[in-house]
Amino acid sequence: MASVKDATAPNDRLRNDDIGLERRLELFRLQVEIRDCEKRAHDLFLQNMIKGTSHLSLGQEAVAAGFGVAMRKGDKSFCTYRGHAHTLARGASMEGMLGELMLRDIGLMRGKGGSMHLTSVEHGVLGSYAIIGAHLPIACGSAWRAQYLGEKDVSVCFFGDGTTNIGAFHEALNFAAVWKLPVVFVCENNLYMEYTPISDVTAVKHPAADRAAAYGLERIVVDGNDADVVYRTALAALEMARDGGGPSLIECLTYRHSGHSRADPAKYRPPGELEEWLKRDPVVIYRERLRDFGVNQATIDAVEAESKRKVEAATEACKASPPAPVELLTADVYADGGWAWRN
Amino acid sequence: MTSTIIMPQLGETVTEGKVLAWFKSVGDEIKEGDNLFEVETDKVTIEVQAVVAGRLSEIRVAPGATAKVGDVVAVVGGDVAAKARVQAESPAAKALLWRSPFEEVSTPTDRFGPSKGPNGVRITPLARRLIAQHGIDAARLAADAERRSVTKVDEAAVRAAIAERPSEPSTAPAVVVPPPTPTPPPAPEGGVISLNAVRQRTGERLTENWRTIPHVFQAIEVDFTRVDRVRGSRKAEFRAAHGISLTFLPFIARAACLALSAYPQVNARFDGKALILSRDVNLGIAVDLGHNGLVVPIVREAGALTAIGLARAIRRQIDKAKAGKLSADDFSGATYSISNNGAFGTAFTVPIINAPQVGILSTDAIRLKPAVVSTPEGDFLAPRMIGIVGQSFDHRAFDGAYSAAFLSRIKLILETRNWDEEFPSEL
Amino acid sequence: MAELTYRDAVARGIAQEMERDERVVFLGEDIGKAGGVFKTTVGLYEKFGPRRVRDTPISEQAILGAAMGAAMTGLRPIAEIMFADFLAVCFDYVANQMSKLRYMSNGQLACPLVIRTGNGGGVRFGAQHSQAVENWTMMIPGVKVVAPSSPMDVIGLMAAAVRDPDPVIFHEHKALYAIKGEVPDGEIVDRLGTAKILRPGHDCTIVALALMVPRALAAAEILQREHGVDAEVIDVRSLVPLDTQTILGSVAKTGRLFTVEENPRLCGWGAEIASIVADEAFWDLDGPIVRITTPHIPLPAADHLEDLALPSASRIVDKVCRVLNG
Repeated sequence: MASVKDATAPNDRLRNDDIGLERRLELFRLQVEIRDCEKRAHDLFLQNMIKGTSHLSLGQEAVAAGFGVAMRKGDKSFCTYRGHAHTLARGASMEGMLGELMLRDIGLMRGKGGSMHLTSVEHGVLGSYAIIGAHLPIACGSAWRAQYLGEKDVSVCFFGDGTTNIGAFHEALNFAAVWKLPVVFVCENNLYMEYTPISDVTAVKHPAADRAAAYGLERIVVDGNDADVVYRTALAALEMARDGGGPSLIECLTYRHSGHSRADPAKYRPPGELEEWLKRDPVVIYRERLRDFGVNQATIDAVEAESKRKVEAATEACKASPPAPVELLTADVYADGGWAWRN
Repeated sequence: MTSTIIMPQLGETVTEGKVLAWFKSVGDEIKEGDNLFEVETDKVTIEVQAVVAGRLSEIRVAPGATAKVGDVVAVVGGDVAAKARVQAESPAAKALLWRSPFEEVSTPTDRFGPSKGPNGVRITPLARRLIAQHGIDAARLAADAERRSVTKVDEAAVRAAIAERPSEPSTAPAVVVPPPTPTPPPAPEGGVISLNAVRQRTGERLTENWRTIPHVFQAIEVDFTRVDRVRGSRKAEFRAAHGISLTFLPFIARAACLALSAYPQVNARFDGKALILSRDVNLGIAVDLGHNGLVVPIVREAGALTAIGLARAIRRQIDKAKAGKLSADDFSGATYSISNNGAFGTAFTVPIINAPQVGILSTDAIRLKPAVVSTPEGDFLAPRMIGIVGQSFDHRAFDGAYSAAFLSRIKLILETRNWDEEFPSEL
Repeated sequence: MAELTYRDAVARGIAQEMERDERVVFLGEDIGKAGGVFKTTVGLYEKFGPRRVRDTPISEQAILGAAMGAAMTGLRPIAEIMFADFLAVCFDYVANQMSKLRYMSNGQLACPLVIRTGNGGGVRFGAQHSQAVENWTMMIPGVKVVAPSSPMDVIGLMAAAVRDPDPVIFHEHKALYAIKGEVPDGEIVDRLGTAKILRPGHDCTIVALALMVPRALAAAEILQREHGVDAEVIDVRSLVPLDTQTILGSVAKTGRLFTVEENPRLCGWGAEIASIVADEAFWDLDGPIVRITTPHIPLPAADHLEDLALPSASRIVDKVCRVLNG
């Protein structure tokens, strides 16, 4: 990657930048790579190279990138089925992510989990959970462990607006607040629970933030399409948790460019809504931001070209990968590595 | 990415296989379905096909070597030194090899006969297994028990009978022994006696005969005193001449042959519709193989033989049977049979007819008993050699009176014949 | 050697493991200061303090979720679900989360935890606090399931469960909390997946679990004394892993199998055992396999009705006699 010195022209705006150009480039790189990877996933569907279902984060890249850059090595991510972006944002490889979507041996879980359960423990991604709400209490448990052992990592739990109406959400928030756990709950409010507008089924305007008070937490709503905003918010929440200040609940306003899942053309959206949000496309916003900060076009182009090259290489690697050996069918049901339940 | 080729499970009980040959060499590209190697197990020799495609990068089990089921015999794909994820070969893989995921529960492949026994009686799986393994007569069990089902409870009694057999008559005949005088049942875990082939075939045949033939048994008391006198006077010279002892059996066999010529319906075969009379007497003699089964070799054209001839012919067949040298010819074509149980002092025995024959004679102990002897001077009580000669006959072939007359003729011959005439003067 | 109640054995078993391993933590509703609603955890809070013995809100999903998250990241939690019926409230964690974690992640994640729960009837609590639900958990790939019947087994199997690298559902039986048994001094560690022959016999095999074990033993005594039937009684103890060899070996000897199950009949654990035995021990069977279970009903609260519903010693005796002598 180009160095900061090479990338920029002299620009006053950099002087008091709390984020710094290096991190900005990282935020940009992550958003571009997530975007390209998700687009590739979409294309691979059309070629029948990806089976089953898949839930893309097109349009929501800034949340993943903002947290990905703010989190430290050792922090734990707990994701939902819409977890590709968060997995990449913690440093997992494109081969691992796309390979899992393609159910190949090269995949993060060698095809045993599939797109909804991306897990990469070495990158702190402690699983993607596809039962709405289930992973909030699990993130609490991870945070409890850190608290109990005096470890300084923070557990971060990402979920959608639809999650705020399930019981586990409320149990987890109360639990985390009462025990003052080092956990950050991140609601990506993309306006739709699945196909139904969240406002049609929720008693409050902000499904997450307006519930925070019930658990003695601060009401936080931020622009989820601005990676800088997300990054700053994330950093504050992570620091508070690390310092023993307890949990946070952050509602990030964002928008899903595609449907809920592979099967959803999102016909239910009112005309013009998507177009309005495309004007606030996080990748576009951030590219402009970099230009504002004096980053030259060559650097931006290099990031985007490198991303395309990586996606291409990853796709080829995945296509070349065999399916997992059949022995995996019964592997790892129990700790002895197998599935034996009787003698 | 690499894939491993494992020694497949080539049969339920197969635990290892010997690689006979490899059809591919290291470095060869293989396709799914290509013949990879040939394996020999104790059951089969089979060619194993590839289930993955790629370059054969390693052969781990050379021709002539043996591998356990599930062992990796070859590696396909990649170069072996690459970052192969070896998880599938770790304890994980081993743990799942002990039982196929599609055979989490193993179904036995043995068969032990039908669940419906004779007369529609139900037989439990355990009873079926024991019946088959012990050569037990299911029909008898069913009939005895008069139960709707046969279980191992019935089984125990019969097993006791089988366990008792060593103390039963030595030339144990084609007979299901009547329930013995009370004997303690064997210990519940007294061991399993596997049936040899002879006993299995015998059992199957007896079962069928007992089930299909309406048996009637008759017996007659015979005074063997005259026979015994002749036997006593000829014994020593007979042994000297032929090297064998002279028993009652040849006399009884001779008497039976003579009687058969007078009662030809006994010397016949029944095909379900008609009784086909036999010209010759081919006499079957039941021989016990040291409690390891029962054979009934044949003395051909027995009707033409004297008592001495019969004695020698019977001896010959018994010797052949015990040496295991009987040929198929020695078994086929009997027209009538004798079962001799005399050695152990039994009073009488009810034998099972060997279809398509229609009768079988049984002879048991002959010993001194007080008997009433009629003389011109009046009736006296005297010690005489008395024994019982009996016959099971197929009631479809003839009736009780005919059988009784036949038995009566045997009695007459044994008691009144001039037996000295059977022995040539040079003896 | 000391006489101990099943109830006190629970606390001793947990204490034994907490003393041994700092990673063992304990959470649940009313388990700390209150000592547990069944008084099974009395003294633990005082001994180990609020850091390791944590009272939770009435949030079964949070309890199991937190236990799971802690287990995934290095602790060895014991979570209490007060009544086994409440497992339905948080069943997602049992059925979808902790059970599938290792498999879905291709072995990247593990979940070594224990869920202990008050299972079973006989205590007049009515339908929502009485059902024997061991069969609910038995059917889930990835979890292990035990149900001890004696104070000694409570301690030994608790130790085995805590030390096991997989999630273990530990069914304590509410109606057994008051029973007493001899327990040796010192550390007790048992093995999961081992059944125990509690009474050898030759005429038939009776397989039972938890509360049904003392009833099967009582039935065996009556069968011997009054009917001359010599029954072998096996305590299954562990449904997953299942010690089928002990059961198959017994059936090979006796030829007859009876299961005594407290769970309602449909898909009860005995059905799986019956199926295995019917298959692998077919040629050892001298009669039908017979299951004696609670009927397919919710449990009533009324004492005479509940007693009627659960298999009793006399029902076992009656059934065995009718089947063996019929």
